[in-house]
Amino acid sequence: MPLRRARVGRAGVIGAPVAKTAVVAKAVTPGPSPVAKTAVVAAAVTPGRGRRRI
Amino acid sequence: MTETPLEQLGPVDYVVVEFPAGASNFTGEMAEELVRLVNSGTIRLIDVLILTKNEDGTVDAMELSDIEELGELQALEAQLAELLAEDDVENLAAAMDPGSTAGVLIWENLWAAPFAAAARRSGGQLIATGRIPIQAIIASIEADEATATATEGA
Repeated sequence: MPLRRARVGRAGVIGAPVAKTAVVAKAVTPGPSPVAKTAVVAAAVTPGRGRRRI
Repeated sequence: MTETPLEQLGPVDYVVVEFPAGASNFTGEMAEELVRLVNSGTIRLIDVLILTKNEDGTVDAMELSDIEELGELQALEAQLAELLAEDDVENLAAAMDPGSTAGVLIWENLWAAPFAAAARRSGGQLIATGRIPIQAIIASIEADEATATATEGA
C-alpha cells in the first residue's frame, strides 16, 4: 500500500541506512541457559554491585 | 494531538522490530503493552509503520490505519504524527532481512522530558546518547569471569 502523501518528498529524520543489531538470542555464547544469562545480566545492573575498576 | 513546546520535548527514540518469515505470533500482547505505556504517560507514540521486505529487496510500507482490525491501537492511531518520510522507509528497511516484516515505532520518552527540560534550562546540552546492547553487558561479565578464573589458576 502506498505511503500517505504527507510522507513523500519530505526530508527524512533517520539520515542514513540502519545497520542490523545483533540478535540477542544468537549473540549469547554457549554455556549457561538463556534464563541463567538473563539473571547474570540483571545482577550486573543491580545498584551497588560495584563492578567499576579504574 | 496536543502540541508540545520544543523546549519541553522529551528524547525521541525508535525501534525496528523484525519478524522473520513465518516467525510472527501476534496475540495482541504487544499492542496491550504499547497502549499501557501510552496510557501511563511513560511515552507518547509519534509514528508507526509496518514494513515488509520482499525477497527481491523491494520494500512495502503500510500505515497503521491500513490494518483492518486495530483493536486497542485504534485510539493511538488517531494521535499519530507522520514524522517518518519516504526516505526513512528505505533507511530503516536496510536493517531487515528479505522475507521479513517489521514494525517501526517512534516515540517520545515523556518520563525523561522534565529532566531533559531542566538540563536545558541549566545550560546543559546533550553531547552523547546511546543504548548499551545486552550482548555488551554479557561480554563484559564473561570477560570478568575469565579474568577471575585465570587469576585463581595462576
